[in-house]
Amino acid sequence: MVSGYQVYVSPGIVKSELRSIMGKSIDLLQGTLDLLILKTLALEPMHGWGISQRIQQISQDSLQVQQGSLYPALHRLELQGWIDSEWGASDNNRKAKYYRLTDSGRKQLEVETAKWERLSSAVAQILATA
Amino acid sequence: MKLFRRLRALFGKEQLYQQLSDEMTFHLEKQTEQNIAMGMRPEEARYAALRKFGGVEQVKEECRDAWGVNFIQSTIQDVSYGVRMLRKNLGVTVVAVISLALGIGANTAMFSVTNVMLLRALPVRNPQQLVEFIRRDPDGSMMTNLPYAVFEHLRKNTSVLSGVFAFTSDTRILRSGAGSEPLTIHEVSGSFFPTLGVNPLLGRAIDSADDRPDAEHQVVGLTYSFWSSQFGRDPSVVGATVRLNGAPSTVIGVMPPDFFGVDRSRTPGMWAPLASDPNPDEVWVLGRLKPGVSIPRARAQLEPQFHQALESLSDSTKNWPAGERDRFLGEKLVVQSATTGTSGMRWEYWEYSNTLRILMGMTGLVLLISCVNVANLLMARSAARSREIGIRLAIGAGRLRIVRQLLTENLIMALLGGVIGLLVAAWGHRVLVAFLVGNLQGVPLSFRLDERVLGFSLALSILTGLVSGVLPALRAGSRDLVAAIRDNLQLRGPTRLPFARKLLALQVALSLTLLIGAGLFVRSLRNLGSTDLGLARENLVLMKVDPSPSKSLRDPRRFWNQVVERIGALPGVRSVSIGGDAVFGNGGWNNGISVRQPDGTERQSQVAFNVVGPGFFYTVGIPLVAGREFGVMDQANAPRVAVVNQAFVRKFLGDDNPVGKRFGNAGAGSSSQIEIVGVIGDARYGDLREQPSPMFYLPVLQNLDNRLYEVHVRTAGNSAAVIAAMRREIQAMDPDISVYDVRTIKEVINGLLQHDRMFAVLASVFGILALLLTSIGIYGVMAYEITRRTGEVGIRMALGARRGDVLWMFMRETLLVLAAGAALGLPAALASAHVLRTLLFGLDPSDPVTLVWAMATLAIAGALAALLPARRATKVEPMVALRYE
Repeated sequence: MVSGYQVYVSPGIVKSELRSIMGKSIDLLQGTLDLLILKTLALEPMHGWGISQRIQQISQDSLQVQQGSLYPALHRLELQGWIDSEWGASDNNRKAKYYRLTDSGRKQLEVETAKWERLSSAVAQILATA
Repeated sequence: MKLFRRLRALFGKEQLYQQLSDEMTFHLEKQTEQNIAMGMRPEEARYAALRKFGGVEQVKEECRDAWGVNFIQSTIQDVSYGVRMLRKNLGVTVVAVISLALGIGANTAMFSVTNVMLLRALPVRNPQQLVEFIRRDPDGSMMTNLPYAVFEHLRKNTSVLSGVFAFTSDTRILRSGAGSEPLTIHEVSGSFFPTLGVNPLLGRAIDSADDRPDAEHQVVGLTYSFWSSQFGRDPSVVGATVRLNGAPSTVIGVMPPDFFGVDRSRTPGMWAPLASDPNPDEVWVLGRLKPGVSIPRARAQLEPQFHQALESLSDSTKNWPAGERDRFLGEKLVVQSATTGTSGMRWEYWEYSNTLRILMGMTGLVLLISCVNVANLLMARSAARSREIGIRLAIGAGRLRIVRQLLTENLIMALLGGVIGLLVAAWGHRVLVAFLVGNLQGVPLSFRLDERVLGFSLALSILTGLVSGVLPALRAGSRDLVAAIRDNLQLRGPTRLPFARKLLALQVALSLTLLIGAGLFVRSLRNLGSTDLGLARENLVLMKVDPSPSKSLRDPRRFWNQVVERIGALPGVRSVSIGGDAVFGNGGWNNGISVRQPDGTERQSQVAFNVVGPGFFYTVGIPLVAGREFGVMDQANAPRVAVVNQAFVRKFLGDDNPVGKRFGNAGAGSSSQIEIVGVIGDARYGDLREQPSPMFYLPVLQNLDNRLYEVHVRTAGNSAAVIAAMRREIQAMDPDISVYDVRTIKEVINGLLQHDRMFAVLASVFGILALLLTSIGIYGVMAYEITRRTGEVGIRMALGARRGDVLWMFMRETLLVLAAGAALGLPAALASAHVLRTLLFGLDPSDPVTLVWAMATLAIAGALAALLPARRATKVEPMVALRYE
């Protein structure tokens, strides 16, 4: 991601303002949040708080997921069957809901990743020729 | 899988909500901790965490939405709330449900009759593969009876057909305990039952082994209905012997209750092998297509064989007139689907279809009226609930949500109406069928609640619920919030009823249409019933006597003389005579005659005629205008004579005295063989509506070639006792003589009027129903209006208005509605009455008397309905009215 700019990710249509050379904002594909969640869970199962922290961490603070928007996305993914949930004990023995990736979720992750890569290379091409 | 998870979430709702809360709590705690670790104070940390999170309740709502549980849940909510609301307003609910039930039920009955008559597939294996073969003339007329040779040729084909069968209908005399009676028998080829794929209920079915001319025993199979009515479902009937036309046959089986053969128009009593018919000239032919064969392909393949069959008959048609022969040989084969069977009544079905269409129009109108009625009721009710709805809107319910809830209520009512409507439909179906086919026995048209009828009823209920509910629901959801919640101020009162008057006017218009239709039918029926028939109707009995199975036919002259004598001798019999065809019989005979014109040329024409015995016209009551009746002198070797009617004279003989003139049979070379000895008055012969056509009568003693004659008897008084005596008298002559179809002229005429009576009765019932519904509507709206404007009435009366003025003020509005409805409805009614033109007798569709009567009835009913509440308004004390809240 372009460093130095904060990108707020909310459910549904994801808008990000990239102050590129062209100076206009683009709408990212719906489901980008889903992609991020699936990717995060591919590494290890974790609870909602952990997911939001991890996304923040890995993107070096440039992606701050609006925390409230994370949960509807999580529940939607659970309804689709791509993630599974389980109540467990957190590190300080509090009750927390842990999510993990399912097999079909893993497949979906590959599909979404491929879509994203296609999109970003298309955007990069446009940027390169501008 | 998704659905499964959804359902699980639905049933574990409470747990889901709790878990959501826990999840959010956990998140917030962690974030708060993190904030504290970054140096914030505990409250600050908590607030910062909440801010970062967003609206907690909102997020929870979104999560719940993600599960999609909301829609199902809210629908369940709507349903239970709706049921509660309906129970609270029980009066309105009951009226609405009943009027919906009547509307939906009537329409379902119509559909059910159509279903049974036209749409239901035969109860055989794979009925969609069945086809029937029809021949078409070069001039387009189609006939279902094919020469037997065609059957023989078609059955050889194995490429497109997996089976072919033929049948024909015959009447044989069945000897039963009391006497002999004619029975309809279907003679079927050996391939009939195997190709159809029907298994018998008892015993076995007729097969190809039975269908041989040299078969040792004659066998028959019974239909279920015949087995029920004649043998009381006695299983020992298999193997029993019955006498048909004097010869014995063995019963080999009984068919299942559903199966009536392939002829929709008639259920036979028995089936017999085709080979038992000595002369099967023409048969119905049907077949079963091989799987995957289309009808056009079958036709293309079979056409050559059809023509081969016609060619093979060209020898036997050598003597036919040239035109007919060409027409015969030029016929083409038509293959039609026979999934629902074939029908001898097919070409009459156009008449039935028109009937059905008109009836459907009427029931559609009734349904529309009840929809409008319900809509009006609902408007009034939602106006009364405006406060409740206003509050719900104010606390955030979406408009769509409110509309959905009101529509759900309405759908519940409509579905209830639909269920009750099924009962109405079952009863209505029976009534309709009784009217439509009252004269035909054995037509398989009983009410059956199959998936089509149920589906129709369900669809109609839902449609009705939506149509009658959408307008009130939309209006309810769009109220001005403030005005709705604000309590009823003195003078404002509850809100105005929007559209009420327009809807009422619509109801008035629709009711007018029905009333006019009813009036037209009733008057037409009266005209038909009282029209002058040209003969005397009282106490005239007819019966068919068929002596053919007995030995009496060896000397027919003596036999019939005896019959006339013996019956004439009975007490209570004024006079008796015989005729070849009955008055109001089934069509009569035609013959070609040739009459010499004054200028010497011969005029040829086809004219109807009958063969009658001495004293016929006196017995039947047709007046003798000139000359004499037939008598005993008109014997076989006496000069040939005839009696003609006045129409005959007018058409062929001009003004001179017709007695003594002559005419002859066409083609016999002479136009002067027959002398006219008498002229009788014109009488209606086949149809109550038609004008009498020219007819001539020949004496039976000079033309004794029929096997059965109709005996016409004029009795002195009540016919019932005499009828029994007459039967005994004839059976005493020989028990093999069959006496049947005993009826009085009055009964016959009643039967002919069946259709018209059906229309008159149904239209009247619907008209009264419409009137009732409209009156209730007017009453309801007027009562509501008066309640609403009580304050206004109080002020007017306090300022000096008299009771009469107040009354007139309200009545005026109703009269306006009635006038608007009439203005709207009259042109529509006249347009639809035009459709009925062909059914009416003796009056125009725009008959002014009927129009005036209908409008007057509607006006009086409407005025009365409005008068009742209006009078109440005038009785209120002004002070009470002013304080009314």
